[in-house]
Amino acid sequence: MDLKERVCDELQKEVPKGASSTNFNTQHQQKWEDPSSTLDYSTRIEPPFQAFNQTCQTQSLLLCNNQIKVPMQDGSINDLLQQASKIQDWDPSAMLNNLSFLEQKIHQLQDLVYLIIAQKGQVLGRPDELLVQQQQLVTADLTSIIIQLISTAGSLLSSVKQTLSAATTSLGQCGEFGGVVFPSSAQRLNDGVQPQNAGGSKVSEPQNSIDITSNNGNEQNNHIVEEHELKDEEDAEEGENLLPGTYEILQLEKEEILAPHTHFCTICGKGFKRDANLRMHMRGHGDKYKTPGALAKPTKESSSEPTIIKRYSCPYAGCKRNKDHKKFQPLKTILCVKNHYKRTHCDKSYICSRCNTKKFSVIADLKTHEKHCGKDKWLCSCGTTFSRKDKLFGHITLFQGHTPAIPSDEIKVAPAGTSDGATNKVGSVNFNLSSYVSSESEVQSSSMDIKGGIDDAVGYFSPLSFDTCNFGGFHEFPRPPFDDSESSFAFLLSRSCNYSQKSGEE
Amino acid sequence: MLSFQSSKNVLSLTEDLLVRIYELLAAESDRKSFRLVCREFRRIDSLTRRHLRVIRIEFLPILLRKYPRLQSLDLSACPRIDDGVVSLLLTRVGPGSNSPSLGHWAWGLKSLVLSRATGLRFSGLEMLTRACPCLESVDVSYCCGFGDREAAALSSAVGLRELNMDKCLQLTDVGLAKIAVGCSKLEKLSLKWCMEITDLGIDLLCKKCVDLKYLDVSYLKVTNESLHSIASLLKLEVLGLMACPLIDDVGLQFIERGCPSLKVIDVSRCEGVSSSGLIYVVRGHRNLLELNAGYCLSLSTALLHQMKNLNHLEVIRIDGARISETSFQVISANCKSLVEIGLSKCVGVTNMGIMRLVSACINLRVLNLTCCHSITDTAISAIAYSCRSLVCLKLESCNMITEKGLCQLGSFCLLLEEIDLTDCCGVNDKGLEYLSRCSELSCLKLGLCTNISNKGLSYIGSNCLKIHELDLYRCTGIGDDGLEALSNGCKKLRKLNLSYCNAVSDRGLAYIGRLEELSDLEMRALHKITGVGLEAVAVGCKKLADLDMKHCEKVGDSGFWALAYYSKNLRQINLSYCGISDMALCMVMGNLSRLQEAKLVHLSNSTVEGVELALRACCARIKKVKLFAPLRFMLSSEILEILHARGCIIRWD
Repeated sequence: MDLKERVCDELQKEVPKGASSTNFNTQHQQKWEDPSSTLDYSTRIEPPFQAFNQTCQTQSLLLCNNQIKVPMQDGSINDLLQQASKIQDWDPSAMLNNLSFLEQKIHQLQDLVYLIIAQKGQVLGRPDELLVQQQQLVTADLTSIIIQLISTAGSLLSSVKQTLSAATTSLGQCGEFGGVVFPSSAQRLNDGVQPQNAGGSKVSEPQNSIDITSNNGNEQNNHIVEEHELKDEEDAEEGENLLPGTYEILQLEKEEILAPHTHFCTICGKGFKRDANLRMHMRGHGDKYKTPGALAKPTKESSSEPTIIKRYSCPYAGCKRNKDHKKFQPLKTILCVKNHYKRTHCDKSYICSRCNTKKFSVIADLKTHEKHCGKDKWLCSCGTTFSRKDKLFGHITLFQGHTPAIPSDEIKVAPAGTSDGATNKVGSVNFNLSSYVSSESEVQSSSMDIKGGIDDAVGYFSPLSFDTCNFGGFHEFPRPPFDDSESSFAFLLSRSCNYSQKSGEE
Repeated sequence: MLSFQSSKNVLSLTEDLLVRIYELLAAESDRKSFRLVCREFRRIDSLTRRHLRVIRIEFLPILLRKYPRLQSLDLSACPRIDDGVVSLLLTRVGPGSNSPSLGHWAWGLKSLVLSRATGLRFSGLEMLTRACPCLESVDVSYCCGFGDREAAALSSAVGLRELNMDKCLQLTDVGLAKIAVGCSKLEKLSLKWCMEITDLGIDLLCKKCVDLKYLDVSYLKVTNESLHSIASLLKLEVLGLMACPLIDDVGLQFIERGCPSLKVIDVSRCEGVSSSGLIYVVRGHRNLLELNAGYCLSLSTALLHQMKNLNHLEVIRIDGARISETSFQVISANCKSLVEIGLSKCVGVTNMGIMRLVSACINLRVLNLTCCHSITDTAISAIAYSCRSLVCLKLESCNMITEKGLCQLGSFCLLLEEIDLTDCCGVNDKGLEYLSRCSELSCLKLGLCTNISNKGLSYIGSNCLKIHELDLYRCTGIGDDGLEALSNGCKKLRKLNLSYCNAVSDRGLAYIGRLEELSDLEMRALHKITGVGLEAVAVGCKKLADLDMKHCEKVGDSGFWALAYYSKNLRQINLSYCGISDMALCMVMGNLSRLQEAKLVHLSNSTVEGVELALRACCARIKKVKLFAPLRFMLSSEILEILHARGCIIRWD
């Protein structure tokens, strides 16, 4: 993790803390003070329907993801607004609230379907794909609405405990939704009702948990409500201090992550790294873009609306940073996503010109390395370098037979011998893991810590990865065949696959 | 030998019997006689010989071929053994008629002494260690250029048990780590003056070489951290920490709790160590045999209290300490098995103290009282009376000693082998007469004893036939007659110092020439001697290796010619302030094929060109040369570069 990212992370860490103790507005402001995320993410904060329309018109694939997020984002905001304004105790008004939320959601869906109808026939580019996506979107929303409906109904039942526990175990997402309505100030979601009851004062009351929320009296609960997107219960155990229900998960696509530019001119298609630069560029397209309003940061406009904490998921199926993973750990910023994706799932194409051995996929990592390259003068016979002598000696103490290498030896031996050995080793590791994975499908969690393992363990998850499984032992060059296939037809596959999973969750 | 030769049956003796006889011969000269008897005897010699110390490298190939069962090879006396020589030895030597293959001589080699082999580098060392699979002991001390590469080469000798790397100045932790990892069976390691070694290296060593029994880290800049690591060595018996400036009492606390087998510890000259540190050591190790704590403490009562427990202590050296009479009492009352006591330069040593000390130490063999100025004949008498088995007594600068003390020594200490009476002006001819009763005497130092004369020396010459070292520095009373008596009796004399004995003339040197064993002669400022005297010495003393004739201005070229012609074994020479000519200088420097070190300052009769030529003549093997400072700019840079490239050290004076 380079410095930038770390700074980001730290900033982000503060957000949930603030959020837990204060109300939404402050949290929101804090969010916007985060420099890196604002720059990268500015487009994403636009009013959802606007974005949707816009992307539909331009048919930019890059923003497809946004479309998917739209309903939830919107829904959450509405819901939050309502929640922030009232409900302390459970009463019919809460129910009304839920229902109105559902209503809104249905309206959104309606709009979407309208749009699809309107677009039919006049779409360019990849009509099939878009259609499929939209269909899935609709399916996803419908599913979510159904679930919410069930849970709302479930909350009316008198024996709420039993139903909830039954729901959490057997119904899965359904029960989870019910759980989401629980405030869970400090406890985890799947700890369920009992601990919260114990914490609350009205233990004996057979009413549902919203009572307890009110007893706790914390407003922090408000933003928990809208978390349909969440998946497995195990998720709750992971991550920073964020509870699984407390943030929204966004997932960018591979192309979007790897794109050099994230902001595109809707008129000429030119890409920019920063939104500010795009706005400056837009001036050239006419006077209407020169107004102070158009030039101003869009942040101010959207800052009036409350937002919830955003976390990111890696699009690579099976990755620990992917939201489908059992022990999902979300990424905090877009920059984190980019760096993570490049580091973990991409070729290391930047080679240090000095040592010719170290490879990096993030150019900033290369630059950091180059600052120290050559200073790592403490070299072990195994090829490992150390910047400090005591570290080398600690290493030698630990590993039998390792000795410090004397500089001239390094020139003679190291480039040929050690690097070869290293690559061979990696190759064999990959081979073993992949074969293992393809034969047994239970190993995923155990092999997660190994990088290569992640890549291959993905195998049995997505249809796309069956390719890699089949490759098996030939997987010595982990990336290239993979990437190639993805860029061609598998790209579609993976996309659709992701969507289907998502819809399943929602 | 004669009996064998005369007997008709001597050749009928079986081989194993001959081998047994041969093995009983201790002295090298006897063995030489043995192998000169006949071919059969020589064959026995060549088959049985295990150890070889080579003096002239040109014979090395023949010798190695001749002695196929060598286990120990000492090349420390060979000038300029280098990688090329090693490579030749390993590739060429062996295909003799008997030897099956190349480099066969190295297969059985267990011990290799390469001390001062500054010409050797890692490639040669690597070849050697690879060729000698059984190598157990290597000595590369004083190879100042040795560093990590050489250590890496040595580390391939996996069976190595003993390694001496004293003064391998370039050695760092990396090289030490190589050795620690490669030679994990190491039991004895000496790292004196390896100044680059730090705690990290010692720590790794102690973790990898757990069998270490002997470890010397004297003069290193290691700290208490190292002691913490060393304390974990369960088998360590000998620990040398001499002059480690960063070690203090806190570090010795680790030693108290660790090193359960510790027998010998040396913390002398450690500035940070005080009595309390010693208390830790003594408290933790009741079975300590040897304690060296010179120049770092004054004996506190607490330490003395602890020392009561050291019942097995054999050697104690507390040079430079302040010591009281009661301390002597405590030591003598409790440490009954003391064999050696070192009290050099101690403050507070009195007759009474010595009397109390020696009263119980009847086993004492070595006693060092250097610079204990206040002791007199009374103390010497007590020593002589109590310590009948005394072997070595050092009394330098004990001015109050007279012939009475020596009389006691000559009466009771008949095992005395070494006595140092330097600067004892009370010693006179009478005293020497008493002393000459100690017929075992082998080392006698009489420097600055101006009261002795030829008469006194003649007692020594006639009675002390085993003397091999005699120091007569500035004994101005000594003349040619004394040397005559000496040369008649002391045929085993190997080392002689005649500096500033102004009365010695060419005749005296002629007597010196009769001493065939003489290898070391210092005769500075003998103004009477000329080329004739030097010629006599050169012709007679075939084994002469070290000659110092600074300020012998009257010696002419004839002497130097003789030197160049006869003294083929000469290794070091000091010709400063001599009137040697260019030609003679070139001859001496070029012809003496063993010469390694020369001091050539203020040569009044030679020119710059002469010195340059002389240096060119010897540049292949000279290791160290001292030159007149202005010559630095007069000699051609070429020769200086050559010398530098050859590893020769030039000292400018």
